[in-house]
Amino acid sequence: MLHTKIIDTQKEQIKISDAEQFIASSKFGANIYFTGTVRNLNDNKEVTGITYDSHDEMVIKSFEEIYNETEQKLNIQDKAVFIEHVKGYVKLGEMSIIIAVACKHRDQAYVLSRYIIEEIKKRTPIWKKEHYINEDSQWLKGNPIKT
Amino acid sequence: MKIILELFGASRDFSEKGHIDFEIPKPILIKDFRKVITDYLNDKFNGNTSFLQIVKNSAFCSEENEIISDNYKITKSQKISIIPPIGGG
Repeated sequence: MLHTKIIDTQKEQIKISDAEQFIASSKFGANIYFTGTVRNLNDNKEVTGITYDSHDEMVIKSFEEIYNETEQKLNIQDKAVFIEHVKGYVKLGEMSIIIAVACKHRDQAYVLSRYIIEEIKKRTPIWKKEHYINEDSQWLKGNPIKT
Repeated sequence: MKIILELFGASRDFSEKGHIDFEIPKPILIKDFRKVITDYLNDKFNGNTSFLQIVKNSAFCSEENEIISDNYKITKSQKISIIPPIGGG
């Protein structure tokens, strides 16, 4: 059971209530909600917001691949996974990502949630442009995708 | 043939349009297309080293949303995405 979506911040908001609704429908007992928010400091620079860029089709494809491979790699068959990531401008303190998972047991849920965020960091084509208090901005250095 | 290079992340600074169009006379390997892009940027931005570094460190993605290697040959007009180093979440 998988839900994925890219939220264009110019059109709609990312909402934890959507994740709660999805997870509630799964009827599993162990639920974990991970959210990422824009933090105030990076490399000693005061951050006011981040613009996220996304290759939408590749992002959704990578979410599906990550979900599908957890059956073999983590041996977790019964699960519900909700992944939403924003694109566009997000202010300091606002959410950029929600990963919600539900499994039968808590150890599975912790492992699954951690696996998903780490794999997204490694291979999902999303980019960040940080905006600073002095009105400067810069694209952050990321990890090259392996070919 | 026309190759439309779709820009993402840091490569968006290459053009305000979000893409760069290249007219290429014959089929071309990604590794050679990378050189075409480098030459274009050298010419347009006077050898901006940070732009050249972005191209060097980027992967490419086909119209079918597959990451393609340097040995992939582009044989027809199509959109190709440049995928600079990533960092979401």
